[in-house]
Amino acid sequence: MDFLKSIRIAAGGMRAQAGRMRVVAENLANANSTAQTPGGDPYRRRAPTFRTSFDRELQATTVQLGPVRPVAGEFQTRYDPNNPAADARGYVKLPNVSSLIEGLDLREAQRSYEANLNVITSTRRMLQRTIDMLRA
Amino acid sequence: MTTSDVPLFSMLRTRMQWHQDRQKVLAENVANADTPRYRARDVRAPDFGQMTRTAGASAPTRTDSRHIAGTGGAGGSTTFRAHQTRGTVSTPDGNRVNLEDEMLKVAQNQMDYQAVVGLYQRSLGLIRTAIGKKTS
Repeated sequence: MDFLKSIRIAAGGMRAQAGRMRVVAENLANANSTAQTPGGDPYRRRAPTFRTSFDRELQATTVQLGPVRPVAGEFQTRYDPNNPAADARGYVKLPNVSSLIEGLDLREAQRSYEANLNVITSTRRMLQRTIDMLRA
Repeated sequence: MTTSDVPLFSMLRTRMQWHQDRQKVLAENVANADTPRYRARDVRAPDFGQMTRTAGASAPTRTDSRHIAGTGGAGGSTTFRAHQTRGTVSTPDGNRVNLEDEMLKVAQNQMDYQAVVGLYQRSLGLIRTAIGKKTS
């Protein structure tokens, strides 16, 4: 049944977007995570990657969440000599997480998630209509 | 005689198969809406003129199982080939899926499918009337 395949493809997309949301949540939760040792590097923002693969069973290109990679970028510093993570000059490195970017990423993931959900709802309606043919 | 021997039914069935295949391709597009370098695909609509020409043709009768099955005639599984659409919107990562477009196509596909199923049911009703069965 091809309709079930469509539903499974869309469900795979939802899973990938949910994973993306998880990564965004991780980033936001660690927005203030400084290093444990003096002068060390703080939390580095991580970004999800999407990977397409051809599913032989479904005969379709499905999407999966690929490896979550750390993002290169300069760390901001703040003068805070009393912080345990401060270096010799009294500066603390802050994570390269921007709440604005994370918020936008979250919205994007939400939008894609809803689109996949929409496909499932629509496909289910078509399936229901097919089953209804038995009744008439 | 089965319903697939009637040209109208086989044509409607082909159309339903097409909607089913299209839903799958659209589901792939939506699931891959965030995949870099992914291009949206769509399925070409079946040619109505071609369908009317082949639907009326009769297939050669096989009197022995070792005979080669003839082409032509109604019925038979049809596969629809997907082709890449000319994406107009291109994001920096090379993805060419327009989520709004895809949603529109999904909604339209669902409505068209329901229309075809309705037509199929009506045609069955006609046959029922012809054989003298009271319909609802």
